[in-house]
Amino acid sequence: MSPWSPLHPLHLFLGLVIWSLWFVALYGGLSLACEFAPPDQERGALTWVNASMLLLAALVSTFLLWSARRCWRAAPNADEGAATGRFVARIAAAVYLISGLAAVGLALPGVILPPCI
Amino acid sequence: MTEHRNQPDQARHEELERVWGNEPGWRSASAVNHTTVGLRFLITGLAFFLVGGVLAMLVRTQLALPEQDIIGPDLYNQIFTMHGTVMMFLFAIPVLEGAAMYLIPKMIGTRDLVFPRLSALGYYCYLFGGLIIMSSLVLQIAPDAGWFMYTPLSSSTYSPGPGSDFWLLGITFVEISAISAGVELVVSILRTRANGIALNKMPIFCWYILAMALMIIFGFPPLILGSILLELERAAGWVFFEVAGGGDPLLWQHLFWLFGHPEVYIIFLPAAGIVSTLIPVFAQRPLVGYRWIVLAIIVMGFISFGLWVHHMFTVGIPQLALAFFSVASMLVAIPTAIQIFSWLATLWSGKVLFRLPMLWILGFLIVFVCGGLTGVMLALVPFNWQVHDTHFVVAHMHYVLVGGMLFPLVAGFYYWLPHISGRMPSDTLGRWGFWLFFGGFNMTFLLMHLTGLLGMPRRVYTYDAEMGWGWLNLLSSVGGFVMAIGVAVVILDIALHFRFGRKAERNPWNADTLEWATPMPVSAYNFASLPDITTRHPMWDQPDLPDTIAAGKHGLPEVLNQRRDIFGSDAITGKVREIVHLPSNSWLPMQTAAVIAVVCISLLIKAYPLALAASFGVLFFALRWSWHNGAHPVASPWRDDDPVDPPLHSRTFDGPGLWGMVISLMANGTLYVSLLFGWFYLWTAAPQWTAPEDGPIALLPLFASGVLLSLAVLVFRRAVSQLRQGTDARLQSLLWLAAGLGLLHFLSLVWVLVTAPLTPGELAHDAVLTVMLYYLLFHGGLATIFTVLQAVRVRIGYVALRLPYEPVVVQPFWMYTLGVFWMSFAAFVLLPMAWGGV
Repeated sequence: MSPWSPLHPLHLFLGLVIWSLWFVALYGGLSLACEFAPPDQERGALTWVNASMLLLAALVSTFLLWSARRCWRAAPNADEGAATGRFVARIAAAVYLISGLAAVGLALPGVILPPCI
Repeated sequence: MTEHRNQPDQARHEELERVWGNEPGWRSASAVNHTTVGLRFLITGLAFFLVGGVLAMLVRTQLALPEQDIIGPDLYNQIFTMHGTVMMFLFAIPVLEGAAMYLIPKMIGTRDLVFPRLSALGYYCYLFGGLIIMSSLVLQIAPDAGWFMYTPLSSSTYSPGPGSDFWLLGITFVEISAISAGVELVVSILRTRANGIALNKMPIFCWYILAMALMIIFGFPPLILGSILLELERAAGWVFFEVAGGGDPLLWQHLFWLFGHPEVYIIFLPAAGIVSTLIPVFAQRPLVGYRWIVLAIIVMGFISFGLWVHHMFTVGIPQLALAFFSVASMLVAIPTAIQIFSWLATLWSGKVLFRLPMLWILGFLIVFVCGGLTGVMLALVPFNWQVHDTHFVVAHMHYVLVGGMLFPLVAGFYYWLPHISGRMPSDTLGRWGFWLFFGGFNMTFLLMHLTGLLGMPRRVYTYDAEMGWGWLNLLSSVGGFVMAIGVAVVILDIALHFRFGRKAERNPWNADTLEWATPMPVSAYNFASLPDITTRHPMWDQPDLPDTIAAGKHGLPEVLNQRRDIFGSDAITGKVREIVHLPSNSWLPMQTAAVIAVVCISLLIKAYPLALAASFGVLFFALRWSWHNGAHPVASPWRDDDPVDPPLHSRTFDGPGLWGMVISLMANGTLYVSLLFGWFYLWTAAPQWTAPEDGPIALLPLFASGVLLSLAVLVFRRAVSQLRQGTDARLQSLLWLAAGLGLLHFLSLVWVLVTAPLTPGELAHDAVLTVMLYYLLFHGGLATIFTVLQAVRVRIGYVALRLPYEPVVVQPFWMYTLGVFWMSFAAFVLLPMAWGGV
């Protein structure tokens, strides 16, 4: 089975792997930005750091939610080892969904909080 | 349970027992059987638990009244440090690993774990490491900087004695055991399930253990790295955490909590697995929301890694970063809540039998939910700041850990006792034990929340009477002793039941999982034949399984060629793919662990030549171990009547050893990534980070060394590729060529290291680079040795076209070595050059 197939067990955890990498990038990127190019504190949350962070979060969560939909739609089409395939696809869809929502949830403080204080 | 067997059946069982059983008498120390090793983990862990409990009682005695001086401050520091250390590292994790080792093969319908000698090595590392740590207490030189060893308190300046060294070296030694168990359990669960146990049919306990084992693989290496770095700083004066040389004490906190927070879930997940196994049994119905729980396990396994900074809310991190970790800390409550609601729904919709194990499960539900709620409170940054380092945090931690781990563990003990002993525990004593423990626990720790809110800091050995904390501490101490009496009653019950307990009938709790299809008390081989399983509840849906298994009506009923054989299966579908032949009893695990203990002790007493010599001893035993594999005469030499459908695993390209290598490399990779993290962290965050103007590493020789390594890998891959294409004509010469190139790479790397003007004792920059170079040297050298051994094995005939397995296992090691080399070249050499500060 191709790893790209939504029935592949890789998808059981791929969503959370992507979420984890995004989280590391978020925290690491924030630290680097504050170290090397800190924005003006008086601008509050209206900074390039927050904007980049929110944009990245939007991209990642959109991809994760799209992947969730893809896995969910593939579940009834599982042929070979139907029950296992459906099981994998549905869990994978939920994992992608939770990862997407978690990315949105974690990025939200960026709407109101300044980055480097 | 007594089984009545006919004569041929009896002979078959005796033969199985002879092949799978332990050696008699003192030679049973060579046992590798999972039942024996698992029970040894459990018993040893319980012994350490009693020591940790006595230390806790000493703490409560000292704090019972204000201004007491029963225990002085120095000894008090040692006692609370050792209490935390013993309970976390020597009790909680090893006991749960032991339970998993004992149960997993029985639940997935096989005869042993897939790497039995690794289990035995893990046990002896745990035993010897634990004894080394405990010896410091006897000698009154125990670690005294708290169980998380924060620098600079644990540095040689502020902790000049050997206490911190005992912790750092001893815990690293014990962690070998945890990683071994992690690798063992992951591969066993994925690759040796009974025919037909697809992922969606796996017992829920296996999902929990799979997640726990993977979390060990990714969670422990950061602490192993941190311990190595701190010990290097203490013993050799290399700079990693000292600000003056460009280090940062906060790096230790990051590395520790990158391990420490997942650790809480590493402890919780198997305990929750026990809960998810027991509740359906006592509710007499399937678990509600199996898929939801699987989802919760996966989500918890990941998100719990994203919380580590919530232990560091007070160290001065930007508000936005605090908010990330605060939100993540609250997010993890969601998968926990999914499980709680699933358990409640199962109980609600079933007919609950309030037997003894169920009582402990109810205790768990109450205590753990309370701990979870205070956890959400602590995730809120302003509240966290207020109660940081107070008794509130101590109370929360005990609600989560004792509630989340000890209550389910005792429930599990009572539940599986008949499986081990064939006898039932006493209901009366058991209930007394529960209520004493439950009452005492809440009296101790519920009140401690209040003590903390009133401002009592943790880790103070006494307090003034006018602070007003006296009555709360007195009641907490009384509660502590009531709890201790509860523990004593439970131990008494368990001890007495071996002699006086009522004989258990078959499957006494009417459970649904496969471990109850094995004989009681348990045999060395678990299953006389290996069944096909088509359901999630085999004992409910196929109640005649114990009889048909014992009668040999399923797979592998006979012993072939005196081998220990099990089925290897597909990781997803659970369909049988090969026969895995397992190693038999051996002294090698104990010998290897003993020599590692010599390394550990000689480092403690600073006998470095002896440590070096013992390290070579470890290498010798490890290589000897690897030699007795595959087609070696003591393993499974080639025979013309070898089975072909399914084949023996050592005659294939995808046996469990390959999976073991890849999983081990994941742990290794996490250690390396932790080093990379340390490098970038110090570079960007250390207050006095200094880099020499000229790069200390010679660029071209390092590049040339990398080219040699790349060539070695290409040649090795060519050899494996030819094997896959069906020819071994040039196998030996290609392996020798790869080994030669590997040797040249190693020697050139030695030259780079020797000629580099590195000053690890002065600059953190150079200290990290030096560690990186030693890491690369270690891997380059090891890959070369492995390849030399493979070439020799080809010459002898242990590796060939029809025995292609071993080079396939070694190949990922070469690939990993190549990957970390070029990544290091980019991150440690090129990137700083490009950035302008080498």
